[in-house]
Amino acid sequence: MDNPDFSAQALRQAQVQMPEHGGRLRRAVAEYGIPLERWVDLSTGINPCGWTIPLIDNQTFMRLPENDDELEAAAAEYYGSSDLVPVAGSQEAIRELPRIRQQLFGESRVGVIAPGYEEHRYHWQLNGHQVERLAAEQIETELHRFDCLVLINPCNPSAVRFDQATLARWHQQLAARGGWLVIDEAFLDTEPQQSMIQPQMPSGLIVLRSLGKFFGLAGLRVGFLFADAEIRQMLSRAIGHWSIATPSRWLATRALWDTSWQQEARTWLESSRQRLVRLLEEALEDLPGSLQGRGLASTGLFVTVQIDDAAELAHRLAQQGILVRYFEPYSSLRFGLPGNEHEWRHLARSLTEATAAESQIQV
Amino acid sequence: MTALLLWVGVLIDLWLGEPRRWHPLVGFGRCADWLEQRLNKGSDFRRRISGLLALLLLVAPPVLICAWLMQWPLLQWLLSPLVLWFTLGFKSLGDHIEPIRRALEQGDEPEARRRTAMICSRDEATLEIERTAVESVLENGNDAVFGALFWFCIFGAPGALAFRLINTLDASWGYRSERFLYFGWAAARLDDLAGFLPARLTALSYALCGQTRRALRCWRLQAPQHDSPNGGPVMAAGAGALGLKLGGPTRYRGTLVKKPILGEGRAAACEDLDRSLKLLRYSVLLWLVVISLIQFVWILAAGVF
Repeated sequence: MDNPDFSAQALRQAQVQMPEHGGRLRRAVAEYGIPLERWVDLSTGINPCGWTIPLIDNQTFMRLPENDDELEAAAAEYYGSSDLVPVAGSQEAIRELPRIRQQLFGESRVGVIAPGYEEHRYHWQLNGHQVERLAAEQIETELHRFDCLVLINPCNPSAVRFDQATLARWHQQLAARGGWLVIDEAFLDTEPQQSMIQPQMPSGLIVLRSLGKFFGLAGLRVGFLFADAEIRQMLSRAIGHWSIATPSRWLATRALWDTSWQQEARTWLESSRQRLVRLLEEALEDLPGSLQGRGLASTGLFVTVQIDDAAELAHRLAQQGILVRYFEPYSSLRFGLPGNEHEWRHLARSLTEATAAESQIQV
Repeated sequence: MTALLLWVGVLIDLWLGEPRRWHPLVGFGRCADWLEQRLNKGSDFRRRISGLLALLLLVAPPVLICAWLMQWPLLQWLLSPLVLWFTLGFKSLGDHIEPIRRALEQGDEPEARRRTAMICSRDEATLEIERTAVESVLENGNDAVFGALFWFCIFGAPGALAFRLINTLDASWGYRSERFLYFGWAAARLDDLAGFLPARLTALSYALCGQTRRALRCWRLQAPQHDSPNGGPVMAAGAGALGLKLGGPTRYRGTLVKKPILGEGRAAACEDLDRSLKLLRYSVLLWLVVISLIQFVWILAAGVF
């Protein structure tokens, strides 16, 4: 069953809708009249206690980036594979992959996980592929209709997880007919044993990683693509020289080397995640129509709750100075981790206020 | 002999804590306020000189009297541990942190906030309780403990007394506000000078008693960004030793002040109040042991030659 809306021709004519993202703190400041520093911004899934950047030597800024610095070796060590290309944030790979696919195979039928980070869908459509949104439970039965499957694991914002055995099976199926399995592992650093990165990347398997979330270095714009030699080569050629700034390369190398920080951050993030899950479970359990049989799911860096009146709760939290991300189509809210005790208390207090008001209204 | 007197002074502090009924530093502070109100006027230059004069008027008499009394060995023995006790705020630091911790554990945020505001000059409504408390322990460890111990070792009781009085004057006058920029100049500079060596030894002992490599790295990289020449090393090394990320924007009397990040790792939580006090206690113990060893070797060497 082809989806007429996403046919190649329709796409070339009609404008493809550009996705919207979080980080709308300034808009919220204006809308709710609460000064910037009073907000607790939980609207992103970025580690609030990210890696601390050291002082950078002036020299670093004066030189052009060099591809034979230590970045690739540091990344190979951290990710356990040297079949990689450094990119200016996984966004760069997200943008280039559909183009490379178009050059190699022409128009393809692409299934993109939904709900999910919308940039994937956008760029595949933009490059003239037939794109269909797929829910996680549809994949097994529908996979035969697609050339490419684009997943996020664990998925953002739904926190849905795919196990390695399933992913390996889907990769086999797709690779057998020249297809690709693209996995965006932006939120996987807290559970690296779940990664599909292999020392030798087989053809048809493409994995994206980034320093944005776990390391808390989203502004650095450094990510990596793992794939077989052909795709790596085409990607390198497409992005050309100097796409990652020298200071970014230098800092990323140091962050990847800092194994003691990484270990500590994993422990700390895990205890924060458990704490946030507990807090939300307690706060929302009495809410009419919420959580029953649906729920609350989490990755190492955020917790997503699906509740009936998500918009109203987001609004009430914002009135208290708590910014969370509201996903309208799935009636869910995504909570990032608070960064310090001050924020934890603020969140706990605001949840109590917001839910108390809510139950009164519902009755 | 110094080491023995040092042990006695520290033990008296741990036993008695801060004098409850009348604290000599409170009286000293009143004298300082009185003088400041009378002398802090006129041109910038005159204020600067008046500040220096007021400092000498306040610090010299007690220090000279103390030094004069030290010429009788018996008085030296009896008096110097008492002077050291007066200059130390070791026990009292813990006594100020404990109610904050208790209030936090009981979930009484307003009480914890009120208690924290008492030990710093930050805005009560917006301060981050845990971060402020830990920063206060680290910084006061230098001002109210190690500085006094250091100068006691060098110049005996008068040295410790002089350090504490200068430090107290810096705390009341050493601001960059319009009122104190010139009058407080002498106190602030002298305090920087007196604190230079002890602050670095404090930073080193925090590093040795905590996560050493991390503390040294934070000291090296972050201290230069701090605007206080002594507070920088102490706080950066202390935060690194605890594996905490402290510092950052802070609100003082309604104005938001940009402060550098100190340390690295997670944010401070309730349990870190105790961790920071423990770091301070281990560092004091380290100092006492090292000073005793030095003295011991000294005595042995004197006996041999």
